[in-house]
Amino acid sequence: MSDPAFERLLTELAAGVGPFAPAQIAELDRREAFPADACRALDEAGVSRCYVPVRYGGRLERFPELVTLWRAIARCDLTVAVAHGKTLLGAISVWIAGTPKQAARLGGEIAGGAVVSWGLTERGHGSDLLAGELSAVRTATGYRLDGEKWLINNATRGQLISILARTHPAGGPRGFSLLLVDKRRLAPGSYQCLDKELTHGIRGADISGIAFHGAEVPADALIGREGDGIQIVLEALQLTRTACVGLSLGAADHALRLAAGFATQHWLYGRRLDQLPHARRTLGQAATALLVAEAVAEVASRSIHALPGELSVSSAIAKALVPTLADELIGLLGELLGARAFLTGVYEHGAFAKLERDHRIVAIFDGSTVVNRNALINQFPGLARAARTSRCDEAGLTVAATLGAPLAEFDPKRLQLISASGCTVVQALPRAIAEAREHVESGAIPAEIGELAVQLGVAAAEVQAELAATSPSLRDVPAASFALAARYELCFAGAACLQLWLRNVGRATNAAGTTTAALWRDALWLEASLRFVVARLRLGAVGAASGDPVHDRIADALALHAWPAAFSLLPDPSRSASAT
Amino acid sequence: MTTGPAIATPPRHRAVELDERFGDPWDDRNPLGHAAVLDADERAELLSAGEAMLDDFGLGAEYVPSSLGGRLDCLDQLIEIMRTVFRRDPCLGLGHGTSTLIAAVNVWTGGRDAQRRAIADLLLANGKLACGYYELAHGNDLGRVALTALPHGDLLRLDGGKEVISNLERADAIVLFARTATVPGSRSHSQILVDRAALLASGGVAYLPRFGTAGMRGVQLGGVVLRGCDVSADSVLGVANRGLETALTSFQVTRVALPGMFLGILDTGLRTSVRYALSRVLYGRRVADLPLTRTVLAEAFADLLVCDCIITTVARALHLLPREASVTTAAAKFLVPRLLINAMNRLASLLGASFYLRRGEYAIFQKLLRDLPPASFGHLARVAAQMTMLPQLPQLSRRAWRAHEPAPAGAFTLDGPLPPLPFEKLALAAGGQDHLTGSLVAIDQALAVGAGAAGELADSDRHALRELTARFVSELGELGEACGALVHGELSTGASAESYELTARFSAVLGAACCAGVWWHNQDREPFLRDPAWLVAALGRLAARLGPPPPLPEDVAARLFAELAARHDTGHGFDLVNRPLPGWQRSASRQSNTAER
Repeated sequence: MSDPAFERLLTELAAGVGPFAPAQIAELDRREAFPADACRALDEAGVSRCYVPVRYGGRLERFPELVTLWRAIARCDLTVAVAHGKTLLGAISVWIAGTPKQAARLGGEIAGGAVVSWGLTERGHGSDLLAGELSAVRTATGYRLDGEKWLINNATRGQLISILARTHPAGGPRGFSLLLVDKRRLAPGSYQCLDKELTHGIRGADISGIAFHGAEVPADALIGREGDGIQIVLEALQLTRTACVGLSLGAADHALRLAAGFATQHWLYGRRLDQLPHARRTLGQAATALLVAEAVAEVASRSIHALPGELSVSSAIAKALVPTLADELIGLLGELLGARAFLTGVYEHGAFAKLERDHRIVAIFDGSTVVNRNALINQFPGLARAARTSRCDEAGLTVAATLGAPLAEFDPKRLQLISASGCTVVQALPRAIAEAREHVESGAIPAEIGELAVQLGVAAAEVQAELAATSPSLRDVPAASFALAARYELCFAGAACLQLWLRNVGRATNAAGTTTAALWRDALWLEASLRFVVARLRLGAVGAASGDPVHDRIADALALHAWPAAFSLLPDPSRSASAT
Repeated sequence: MTTGPAIATPPRHRAVELDERFGDPWDDRNPLGHAAVLDADERAELLSAGEAMLDDFGLGAEYVPSSLGGRLDCLDQLIEIMRTVFRRDPCLGLGHGTSTLIAAVNVWTGGRDAQRRAIADLLLANGKLACGYYELAHGNDLGRVALTALPHGDLLRLDGGKEVISNLERADAIVLFARTATVPGSRSHSQILVDRAALLASGGVAYLPRFGTAGMRGVQLGGVVLRGCDVSADSVLGVANRGLETALTSFQVTRVALPGMFLGILDTGLRTSVRYALSRVLYGRRVADLPLTRTVLAEAFADLLVCDCIITTVARALHLLPREASVTTAAAKFLVPRLLINAMNRLASLLGASFYLRRGEYAIFQKLLRDLPPASFGHLARVAAQMTMLPQLPQLSRRAWRAHEPAPAGAFTLDGPLPPLPFEKLALAAGGQDHLTGSLVAIDQALAVGAGAAGELADSDRHALRELTARFVSELGELGEACGALVHGELSTGASAESYELTARFSAVLGAACCAGVWWHNQDREPFLRDPAWLVAALGRLAARLGPPPPLPEDVAARLFAELAARHDTGHGFDLVNRPLPGWQRSASRQSNTAER
């Protein structure tokens, strides 16, 4: 679906009075109206089928393509992407743990246009799923549901909803189960959709809830076994958290396009804004942040196929880091836009202010940044152990980082709640650094890059030593552990960049397309990304705010970019079509 | 207030009096409470009950110098009073008053006596001014504004337009920034002070549709096209063609004042977050009991204190060291809005989904977040402040940063007396003078030897503080080297990003000087202010702008959190003066279970 034809379709839909036209999108946001026409257009284009695995009749084969798909939609409008994409989140538990019959039936529903929602959170409990009160009590024919789910995307619009319900009064990790509830088959009066909540961003989305009053569902609504609910949800989140970073990439693309467009139109002090050095630096830094985020997203989403056993780590890293980077770059570019990031009718229908509001939800939903960092912290002992033994799944890593490498069909049975092998991407850093130095010695890349790789390695070794020294504490996690988790994420980001460059340099330098070729020439994107990551590891995000001259060269590449395609280091946007 | 001898019982502070009038923010029936503020925001209207209350309070008089019959004596007092409004509703602060203030300071700075008198009378009667500088096409580049006011017979003829101007259609009088001479250079502009009714009568005035915004939605932002509008030649404010000077000097007053008022946003954002953390239960305990929560809240509190140290010191120094204000106020404008925005973003992540909702107990947070950005880009953006500092750095490096003369103690003494605001002494450049960093060097040396207030400290505290102050003093030395070496081409708008970065580093050092000075010179105040804990946290926050962020020591985080929770429970402001806020006290006393910790 992430093919040029789809990109062209989106461009067409954004023209004139099409459903993705900026004026339409702005008007819907103002009226808090659901982007129904845009979602229908996506349905007609067959996008919903991309949420259904091939074996159940759909087109979902490779998760990196899902990331690219959501990125492309979010680049036009994040509200639409969130509203439409939710169906994957609603269905994912069935793909993981449902019976083939359940899955085939749900696949058919989705292909036919059904909207599926995911009911996890409850009023007052937020991310604390084990505090959930909605109960499912076994009856002669199935289960009886009582209680409510709240702040649920598409709870009202959806025909189906996967519900996490307490099936054992005492709760606990085995006390919850997942049920796929078909609202159309519930007795009238046994449920009620809750009012749409007024939200800060994604104002048009259906953020509501659902309350059950003795609602009877059949026994075959159960997904997996009774008591498996929490386990299935935790596995599902590994997939959704990884895929959701596509939303951040799309919002970042959009922000970058708006800012770069403004900077080439606006004159200040007798110069075009993008030629004022400080503005050029800002654009270059923001673009570099996007490339780093893209590298993380690419390696993490390929890891769903290539390193599934480590997904508990890589998904937490991706979901914590990518939305954070995107929020930051949006803030940076917003300052460049000044009043135009604030006024809703002056520049591009106020799209920047809208995406700024919209994107803030990405770091909150599907596990907030804090929740994901906490998940990573829980794995510190394992990560420290794996670092000590330098464990690496070399074969998996090669596939995860080689862009054209065939991806095996995703196998849910290989998901693990705790990664036994730590995080290969980070653990393989010493080897990668050695390889980078070989490239330096052969004259293929500038010596500075080898030096940067070494600095990354030193920083990563420090972080790993600190991991080992951190005593595990599930309850009183000190603030310092969260800071350490954030640094581990940066190590992953730097390592992902290095791996992507090393595994693809031969192939990518020949890539067509001006921007991408410029980014790969002299390993420009790698140098810019490593500078970005290493400076943050050394100085923190605030201390590294001034950027580096190499980021100016990224801004120069940005100036050549042909929008609306993504500003991307990935050699070929249609790679998925050519790769098999 | 009881009556008593005036000397023994000082009158209640006007900020306290004003807060009382606002009442309990979390009482849904309060016409000035959060619920009413949020409703007005949804309708994109200014809170009319709030406007009426502020008129009754006579807020306009706060903008008028005492010498003209008003109540403006000390800039820090004005900031505190307006902060009271911004805590409740930044739209009300900006829409009822701040745009009037910006225009009025132009008049106090550049106007003739008769113009000052007339505007003073207008403000004392709760009249409003609009301040017409901005043109979308030119942004911060005042020298290129397109509106002209050129002689036409005995009159001045206005041609051009202004955009995104608060209260344009309801102000009694308007200050318009226009080109009044065709020659290039910095002496070709003037402020034109016109009565709005008279302007309309001149014909050729067409208002633009109101500008929509993501935040500050209640503020009426208008625009106007002026086609051959003739106004009297004596509409020119003060001396003709000196408008750029008037703008750049009077903006010194407002570019420290406004961020100081916007600080009220972080005060309420922080209070809302504390309220959330104390009442919300996750994973079987209060959010406030998670160590990360305490650190996030403590750091946001430290950020707020850093901001207030900068604002208070720079505002007071404007009275005492007016010649240096071009640099000090620019540093405040550069640093404070960024710190406020970063802190609010961090708190938003603490609130999680609760921040994202526009209804309910914490809904005020998202409104405050949307209202904050103009602190950064409005009234000349942060980058313009950097541009003000940059050309002055070489001279500062050759003079002040070698002489290290400290500022008078009065620059740091909270609530201390000040001479009147010396509008006439404000200068375009500081001439290499910078006494605030001189104070930093002096305090650093005192900490080294244990002199003065440093003698009262435990050795460990003194060393911890000294380690921090020494970082900034050494940074000042490095800045001196780098700035002394700046070539001419690196001092103007086309300077490299590296040169701009020097202004950021200097601002952090100046911020540290403000923090250290406030601590040093207020040792006779309450225990919290005397305690070095907050200074350690504050300097740490600023040090993170120069190098690896020093971790917040756990005991310091605990001390700050305890203070924060206590002020939340007793309804005190989180800023330096720590005054009781009667309106917030009412909501604090209604919220029962928070006291036990």
